[in-house]
Amino acid sequence: MKQITMKKLVTTLVIILVILLVFLLLGPFYIVNEGEQAVVTRFGKIVDTQTTAGLKFKMPVVDNVVVYPKKILSWDGDAQRIPTKENQFIWVDTTARWKIVDPVKFYESVNTVDNGRSRLNDILDSSIRTIVSDNYLSEAVRNSNQINEIQVTEQVQNVENIEDAETLRSLTETNTKQETIKLGREALSQMMFTQASKFTDAYGIELIDIIIRQIRYSDDLTESVYQRMIKERNQIAEAYRSYGRGQLAQWQGKTENEQKTILSTAYAESERIKGVADAQAAKIYADAYQVDPDFFRLWRTLESYRKTIPSLNKVLSTDMEYFDVLYGDKEKK
Amino acid sequence: MEFNSQHTRQARPAFVHVSPRLIIWIIVAIIVIVMVMGSFFVVDQTEKAVVTRFGKYNRTVGPGLQMKIPFGIEKNYNIATEVVNTMNFGYRSTAKNTPLLVSSSVPQESEMLTGDLNIINIEWIVQYKVEDPKAWLFNVQKGETTIRDISQSVMNQLVGDLPILSVMTSKRTEMEVEAQTRMQDLFDSYHLGVRVVTVKLQNIVPPVGDVQDAFEDVNKAVQDMNRYINQGKENYNKVIPSAQGEANQMIQQANGYAAERVNNAQGDVARFNSVREEYEKSKDITKTRLYIETMESVINPTDGGSVTLIDKSLANYLPVQMVGGSK
Repeated sequence: MKQITMKKLVTTLVIILVILLVFLLLGPFYIVNEGEQAVVTRFGKIVDTQTTAGLKFKMPVVDNVVVYPKKILSWDGDAQRIPTKENQFIWVDTTARWKIVDPVKFYESVNTVDNGRSRLNDILDSSIRTIVSDNYLSEAVRNSNQINEIQVTEQVQNVENIEDAETLRSLTETNTKQETIKLGREALSQMMFTQASKFTDAYGIELIDIIIRQIRYSDDLTESVYQRMIKERNQIAEAYRSYGRGQLAQWQGKTENEQKTILSTAYAESERIKGVADAQAAKIYADAYQVDPDFFRLWRTLESYRKTIPSLNKVLSTDMEYFDVLYGDKEKK
Repeated sequence: MEFNSQHTRQARPAFVHVSPRLIIWIIVAIIVIVMVMGSFFVVDQTEKAVVTRFGKYNRTVGPGLQMKIPFGIEKNYNIATEVVNTMNFGYRSTAKNTPLLVSSSVPQESEMLTGDLNIINIEWIVQYKVEDPKAWLFNVQKGETTIRDISQSVMNQLVGDLPILSVMTSKRTEMEVEAQTRMQDLFDSYHLGVRVVTVKLQNIVPPVGDVQDAFEDVNKAVQDMNRYINQGKENYNKVIPSAQGEANQMIQQANGYAAERVNNAQGDVARFNSVREEYEKSKDITKTRLYIETMESVINPTDGGSVTLIDKSLANYLPVQMVGGSK
């Protein structure tokens, strides 16, 4: 008896459990996670939208839940080859952030996130293309005219002289003056954004931003830019070398100049010293000899004889006074 | 019902101990075990965990053993908030812990246009931390992609505003700081929940090949220039000090000459004066003496040479020596 009641209890429990299970399996509840939103359709007709997270209820079987992300999504376009206003081809790589703000509109017009992406492809690609090709290259590359305020100087090393350093700087100065831009990259992004936003509203999509991720030259343009960069560097390298050679020549000239100046100054000085001494000596001699010119003649002549005569081959006349005694002075006269 | 009980009865010999009570207990035990197992989760010291109840954000918990409601009613998402993540741009490290040793460059990422419309390759890293795990989980779908995109775009924009030489030299640090601020601003505007720890520029080089060679050549040219200048200076130093010495030599020699000249003169004069004084006293005697003394020393043939005496008129010829054999 007891066993039978027990059995009945178990059976009822099992039945309730099964019904509950079936009911749950049919799914009256669904969970909207944080960062998600949901659209509930009944036979294709939207009956409910859920934009907050939590446990939600729906009619089992007949209701269908479509979950969309509420998070910010990224759109990553392929890099596009676009001609700028001056007809230079560049690769423009952009990225954008967007989110689904109106799930109903989104469901109606786009339906899936993938579709949404491809719609965005169409809209964004075309607005990027329009804006880039409407503007000059520098407008897309640069964001401000800051570059024209920057003074670029080569690293001038080991030049002691300030003037020299200055010369070198002016020689190697690269022209950083660029044409002034009116818009700049951020403004272009903003323009793309404004243009694209007009269309995205219709899909329940809010565009958060469009950002130019990268701009590159097309391949053929790259080559010519390389050449320009090389030439620019070559010119600076030559400036250095030529300046070095000039300095060498200058040093050589300076060396020669100083050498000659030093030596000739010394020559002049030494000659002057000698002259003064000669004059002084002459004065000394003259002062002394003036006292008795006759004796001077005698003295000096005899002194001179001592120096000159001994080495000569001597043929002497007996007329000489010296021999007067020898040959009888009186007789001769 | 009948069938069911019959069935049970038939099965009895095989499962001797199985009674409905036991089955219920077993089920209850399993439920309890699952409940206990699913009620705890571990949060590491480096992590924070976000707990959602029925998908809705409920709370954020710190490290340790944490509890939650099981059966998927509450879910925990562990996010490493203390870990600094590094992202490389312009290159990919193949081995995880040696980012600079083994890496391959990604030129399509590093190539940029500078403000003076030159091309430059820049490699850099971004380090970030997840600061707000809730925001990181629920606000942006692909957080890492977003960080990549924004970092690239910010760096491109910065480089696009600067001349190539500034990028390579003076503006490096400024760029790092500026990139970090701009990235942070954008991330904040998306409520990404990320804090940029640092932006570091790694390699900044001109395009590999001829262009890089041309840049190298400028460095070489600077070396050349210095070499030329040093060569000039070397020659100067070689010549000028020695010329200075030579000049001093000449002056010294002149001074020597001058001293000699004056002293000689003074000496000569002193001697002359002394003799003259004596001469004044007895003119003829001194004159004759001087003459004879001079002749004596002068005519003395032992000094070399020969002496021949000739009488003009041959009146009193005395051949002191034959004039010559031939004569």
